[in-house]
Amino acid sequence: MHIILVEDDVQLGEAIRRALERLAYSVSWFREGNEALRALRDHDADLVLLDLGLPGKDGMDVLTEARRLRVKTPVIVMSARDALDSRIRVLDAGADDYLIKPFHLDELAARIRSLARRVRGEAVNRLEAGALSLDLGTFDVTWHGERVDLTRREFALLQALMERAGRIVRRESLENSLYGPDNVMSTSALEVLVHSLRRKLSHGAIQTVRGFGYMVPREPQ
Amino acid sequence: MTLPSLRSRLLVLIVLVLAAVLLPLGILSAKHTLEEVDELSDGRLAQAARTLEVLVGRIGIEQLREQRSARLLVPSVSNHPQELTVQGRTFESEVGFQVFDRDGTLLLATENLAAVPNTRAADGAFEDIHKGKYKWRMFTLIMEQEGVTIRAGERYDSRHEITRALWLEHGLPTFLGLPVLALLVGWAIRRGLRPLESLAGALARREPGSREPIHLPDAPLELRPVLLALNDQIERLEGALERERQFSADVAHELRTPLASTMINLEDAMASAQPDEAQAALEAARECLVSLARRTEQLLALARLEAGAASGPRSRVDLRELALEVVEEMSPVIGTGGAELSIELPDHLFVNGYGVALGALIRNLLENAFRHVPHGGHVELSIRHVERGALIEVTDDGPGIPAERRTAMFTRFQRGVDTQGEGYGLGLSIVKRAVELHGAVIELLDREGGPGLRVVVTLPLA
Repeated sequence: MHIILVEDDVQLGEAIRRALERLAYSVSWFREGNEALRALRDHDADLVLLDLGLPGKDGMDVLTEARRLRVKTPVIVMSARDALDSRIRVLDAGADDYLIKPFHLDELAARIRSLARRVRGEAVNRLEAGALSLDLGTFDVTWHGERVDLTRREFALLQALMERAGRIVRRESLENSLYGPDNVMSTSALEVLVHSLRRKLSHGAIQTVRGFGYMVPREPQ
Repeated sequence: MTLPSLRSRLLVLIVLVLAAVLLPLGILSAKHTLEEVDELSDGRLAQAARTLEVLVGRIGIEQLREQRSARLLVPSVSNHPQELTVQGRTFESEVGFQVFDRDGTLLLATENLAAVPNTRAADGAFEDIHKGKYKWRMFTLIMEQEGVTIRAGERYDSRHEITRALWLEHGLPTFLGLPVLALLVGWAIRRGLRPLESLAGALARREPGSREPIHLPDAPLELRPVLLALNDQIERLEGALERERQFSADVAHELRTPLASTMINLEDAMASAQPDEAQAALEAARECLVSLARRTEQLLALARLEAGAASGPRSRVDLRELALEVVEEMSPVIGTGGAELSIELPDHLFVNGYGVALGALIRNLLENAFRHVPHGGHVELSIRHVERGALIEVTDDGPGIPAERRTAMFTRFQRGVDTQGEGYGLGLSIVKRAVELHGAVIELLDREGGPGLRVVVTLPLA
């Protein structure tokens, strides 16, 4: 899952990026309003974490403009402004959630999961395909009732595939989810990941569509 | 005397003034009237005596003398009222007369004066006599040829009745009129003071926190300066309040952001499975706390600056001493920054100002410079006396600030985008506030001969 982080404060930006990457998200971090808007418009992110007090272009303007440009990516606004009218204005301008600084990492993660869930149209934090089950809150993966230990990247890849189980997911989209849009990963990195996933699950769990992408079938064997 | 209400004050003053003018006028005019009445009555008395003289002449003295035995006592005039009119009112005037012969024999007299002896007054003389409980005004006329004295008299109380009537006629309306006048004056005052009432109403109706000026379309000339001053005051108060609100919002932002980073880092460290990841997150958390501490310090400095400006007078500050103190205080920061500081100070340079604020100004300029120069860079502090005043100049060879962003830098808590990550934010706010406090001028310029920032503050001299 790819997240665009817009935060001008270096320390906070670093902290959030590090924490989110540990939670198996790929993060693109921007510190300036105009850059953030360009990224929102051009990249296919799954979620945006937006600070309000930004140099260049205020976060509120970034949000308004993005919504005007029909960017539908879910947006969580993070702000130190706790006034009620500020929160209302932000939500009315098209934000999906509002976090007041300082916030807990757990809460941020939970809200990200909650929003991702809503986008997928699901009500629980669990992705399932046949005997394969993936808990997004605890990062527990079970295969035929057995717990499977996955690395962060493996988990992120499996999540990206299972979010669209039964459909082919393009290679670029997977790379974007895993490494962000500016990745310079070699094409084999993805293949290596798929290979190790198959080893931990089964060969049939992930199907390859040559030259296009991968797919987790609805009932993986 | 202090009266709580402007209206009653005005009322009392106006009535007092009216009374002070009307009373002496009334007394003067009463006195004048009395004299007139006296003169008029005296004239009438003399007239009566002369009429009698003519009558006596007609009858003939001899005839009167012959009648001595049957001395005629004319009945009192009270039975034959002599009428006197004052503006349509009828007064009875008690008058009488006497006719004495040469030898003092009473020839003829009205009953009321029959017992009054001849005082032998001169011809044409007026006199006052007492008969019983009454006082009489007498006029004496001597018929030289016949040797007869004619005396005509009038009781004073008759006269007084006329006077009283005149008093009532003129004085009473004035006395009765005074309360009416007071009522009317009261009404007029209330009407005249209505703008004050509407001002009070407008003030009472104001929403607290509203910055709307008070608008009175029919404000009289006298109230306009009051209104102007009031609106000015409101504006300034609300401005101060607004700044206060802005300040707390800014403070919240300034402190919450590093707090958030600290929390995220700590929680990340706790959740990390790998020790090296946890270590890195903890390290970052510590960095965040350091930055939190620094911002807290700066906020305190800013608050102290504001408080210091509100109280306490300016004093003579030696910029040389001040700069040395600041540099000494900052030596740990300067030592670890990996950048070099060069200082150029005058012998002594005195300005009239706030030592704390000026110290904060120099400290923050230096701190900003050190935060933005690369390792091995240079920072230069120069203080000198120029024609316009005292010059404080801090130059660094960091990345500088693009010209188009310089104005925005002074907005409170605005942070510049820079490579080192730390902003100018609070530091420049403090500098700006100190500059404002001293009526100084600050300029952000390019360093001469290369990239870098040159900040020049010009202080007016003491």
